[in-house]
Amino acid sequence: MEAGVVHAAGGRRRELEGSPAARLPDRLLRWGLTALSVGVIVLIAFFFIRLIVESEPVFSEQGVFNYLFTDNWVPSRDLYGALPLIVGTLITSAIALVIGVPVAVATALYVTELAPRRVRQPLTVLVELLAAVPSVVYGLWGFFFLIPKLQPATRWFADTFSFIPFVGGSVTGPNYFVAGLILAIMILPIVSAISREVMSTVPREHKEAALALGATRWEMIRMAVIPYSRAGIAGGAMLGLGRAIGETIAVTLVIGNAPVIGDSIFQQGYTLAAVIANEFGEAASDPLHRAALIAAGLVLFVLTLVVNGIARTFVVRAERGSRAAAKPAAGMAG
Amino acid sequence: MRYSRILAVATAGAIAVGVAACGSSDDDNSTTAATGDGAAAATLSGTLNGAGATFPQPVYSEWANRFRDEFGVTVNYQGIGSGGGIAQFTEGTIDWGATDAALDDEELAAAQRKGEPVHIPTVLGAVTVSYNVDGVDRGLRLDGATIADVFLGRITKWNDPAIARLNDGVDLPDTDITVCHRSDESGTTANFTLFLSDYSRAWADGPGSDKSVKWPAGTGARGNDGVAGCVKQTQGSIGYVEQAYALQNDFTTAAVQNKAGNFVEPSLEATSAAGEGVRPPADLRFATINADGDQTYPISAVTFMLAWQDGCRAGLSRETATNVKAWLNYALGAGQEVAPELAYAPLPDSIKTQAQARVDALTCDGAPIEVPAG
Amino acid sequence: MSAFTIEPVDPRRRRADRVSRGLVLALTLVALVPLVLVVYYLLKQGLGAISWEFFTTDPSGSFLGDPGGVKSAIVGTVMMVGLAAVIAVPIGVGVAIWLVEFGRESKLAQAIRYFVDVMTGVPSIVFGLFVYITLVTSGFGGTSFAGWKGSVALALLMLPVVTRSAEVVLLLVPNTLREASYALGAPRWRTVVRVVLPAALPGIVTGVLLAVARAAGETAPLLFTAAVVNDTTFNLDERMNSLPALIFQNVGQAQDRLVQIAWGAALTLVAMILILTLLARLIQRRSRLS
Repeated sequence: MEAGVVHAAGGRRRELEGSPAARLPDRLLRWGLTALSVGVIVLIAFFFIRLIVESEPVFSEQGVFNYLFTDNWVPSRDLYGALPLIVGTLITSAIALVIGVPVAVATALYVTELAPRRVRQPLTVLVELLAAVPSVVYGLWGFFFLIPKLQPATRWFADTFSFIPFVGGSVTGPNYFVAGLILAIMILPIVSAISREVMSTVPREHKEAALALGATRWEMIRMAVIPYSRAGIAGGAMLGLGRAIGETIAVTLVIGNAPVIGDSIFQQGYTLAAVIANEFGEAASDPLHRAALIAAGLVLFVLTLVVNGIARTFVVRAERGSRAAAKPAAGMAG
Repeated sequence: MRYSRILAVATAGAIAVGVAACGSSDDDNSTTAATGDGAAAATLSGTLNGAGATFPQPVYSEWANRFRDEFGVTVNYQGIGSGGGIAQFTEGTIDWGATDAALDDEELAAAQRKGEPVHIPTVLGAVTVSYNVDGVDRGLRLDGATIADVFLGRITKWNDPAIARLNDGVDLPDTDITVCHRSDESGTTANFTLFLSDYSRAWADGPGSDKSVKWPAGTGARGNDGVAGCVKQTQGSIGYVEQAYALQNDFTTAAVQNKAGNFVEPSLEATSAAGEGVRPPADLRFATINADGDQTYPISAVTFMLAWQDGCRAGLSRETATNVKAWLNYALGAGQEVAPELAYAPLPDSIKTQAQARVDALTCDGAPIEVPAG
Repeated sequence: MSAFTIEPVDPRRRRADRVSRGLVLALTLVALVPLVLVVYYLLKQGLGAISWEFFTTDPSGSFLGDPGGVKSAIVGTVMMVGLAAVIAVPIGVGVAIWLVEFGRESKLAQAIRYFVDVMTGVPSIVFGLFVYITLVTSGFGGTSFAGWKGSVALALLMLPVVTRSAEVVLLLVPNTLREASYALGAPRWRTVVRVVLPAALPGIVTGVLLAVARAAGETAPLLFTAAVVNDTTFNLDERMNSLPALIFQNVGQAQDRLVQIAWGAALTLVAMILILTLLARLIQRRSRLS
């Protein structure tokens, strides 16, 4: 920082500017940290390149299009069509979002708008404790407790509502739905925390304006809180989606690990992450199989990149929206 | 503020202690090479790392425990499936491997790039056909063709005439059959599908026999325990699990028709009988599926340990190679007496002698390995 | 001043209001149900295994005899996560400092933020895979599986979490503090080390504890990097046991005593993570109050 302000001090200027030697630690700090940060990018780039290089054998053998869009994953015959895996990943993540986001938003709403003051902190902590349970425990609980308990109910549901597409048909114990449900529980804390953050920044003026116009509590939420928080909630949902896409252990225990595309959400399937966990042990000595699994990891990585990119645009939009909203509020206050 | 500072210091301290302790090593786990020119060390010590089939995991685990008590060598065993055992053995990340299915030609070629793999059969176990059907007791009679049709998805109800035909007098309900099978590469699967292929043309031409196949029907689960869980939780289910898991879960198991035409339930005697009915080739790559014998249980599987003919040339230290030989000696010696306690059948004498000869012939850098009498 | 009547709310709207608020409350309670069920199930399955011996003996692997305890797994988890923290925290905080103090809104900083965010989303198994193909099969350092390689995989997992939370906290440090420091003639590095960091410390500690809690519960990265062993070892250059790996390995054994050990280990792990999480929140609250 230039000590130009102290020109007037004359002789003392050099003292305050500091000798070049004294500047050295500053420069070291700056360059050191810059190198570190660039190093992080280099690491990720190396990561990405290594994944591509290691998965090359299966792409040159089958072609990228074949790998991604063929429904035929039979390692014992050297056939690697990853479509059922990709579809399974997308289905379970979609179910996780459909179930998890509304519940997460509801908890965030309750905590920020509707709960009595004393309940807020404990409730927040309780929702966050959901994140403290490791994924292997969720998976085991899902396998030993949830699946048997849910089977009669899902069978009834599938029979009663079989006219809805993708619901009717046979019901297996482990299936897409249970996996999606477990994932929903796992992404709840993240989506709830972000929604809560966003909702707590809704300008009071907006809420008070709605109430002043005679709105009921719920109408105020609908008119002032939700529209304002929409972009932020979407960003949070994207982060939850990213987590759901990559969850491995919990999913592999409850999805049935069948490389097929089921007819209904109550049938078993497979995901990219689960196949890596299940098959990597034996694939290590089979170069093509190993490349196929690393390619699955690569696809996961790319999916994460895409989802994160989308999340960012939502967050940016949210920030822009909040800045725009702040202006008229300032005007009103003024 | 003060709290967080104390905590930060405490955390840093704990981490520092941890990192400092990282330099020190636990005595039991020292892997320093034994003093050695060519002479064997006075006693054994060190750690052995093995991995592979979950099929024999109970007995290998128990052996490891007793081996450590008697010889002071720690044996670590990870049940990752036969495929995993073969893969890691070939890669060199473990010292000995375990598999229910002998290496096929392709796997053999891959392993031979590093050294000559030796198959040492250890025990025989029964692959039970377990089922969970209300009102149906153990001993349901099934033959290979029927079982294959069930797993092919051709027979979908328990009261199907094919099953009823074999079971006069048994009240079979009109329940759907849910098939439980393995989702990971498994020697248990290899043995089971070998049996199915023997009795069903449709199976042999279709999914075939391998550590992992494309299952026409059913739910996939990880490991013997996964299939056991699937059977346990689902009414009307049927699955193939190793005898120890069937016993643990108190499953009702089928009496399977063997080559001689008799319906035999999985038992220690019936499993041992399968071993008697087989004469293995010189390289000990064999299977005991569908063996001859009146009272043989037809889905008895022999399981192997994998070791390098010349461990040192394959990358093991002298100490590790010696430990491997001692471990194999134990498996073929005192271990055989422990096996029945866990419902595994010991090897018949003829096979054991053949196996022991291979173990005796293990070398390190060309010279036979001398194992100190623990 | 004329009195003006306030119209009563249309009963339909009032009903909608009550129903909606009830729905929100119901969904909130639904969110808590899994937590209760999981904790209850864990206690039911695992409490029976808990004893003093459970924490102080190693697993024996014995099927017929005493299955032992989980000492090696606890030691392994603490050591591997500890080393992971030692790797991830300085790097993460360093990157965060650079982003806040030097990079700010530059193109490079934006790129780094994006990639750090991406890292948050990468599945833990892909990190384990990466470490497996770069460090384990190549026999880096003369070993195949090793505890420190597991730590590397965990550190990759922790890094983005630490960086992100540290950046948020550093941004919250009021600029007036920095300006005061500069006005007193302190050089940049002194300001950062003596003024900014201490102010942000509680928040950084919170972030670290949360990252540690996350890493302690991860199984996937450890499956291919540290393997599973029974004996306690303090040597990170060897294979190490860990609670998630022990749980995963034992829960499927054909011996009920071993299965119970697995559930006891699961209970222990959840308790450890719970304590870390609550501690982190406590620090956060205290710092906000102060």
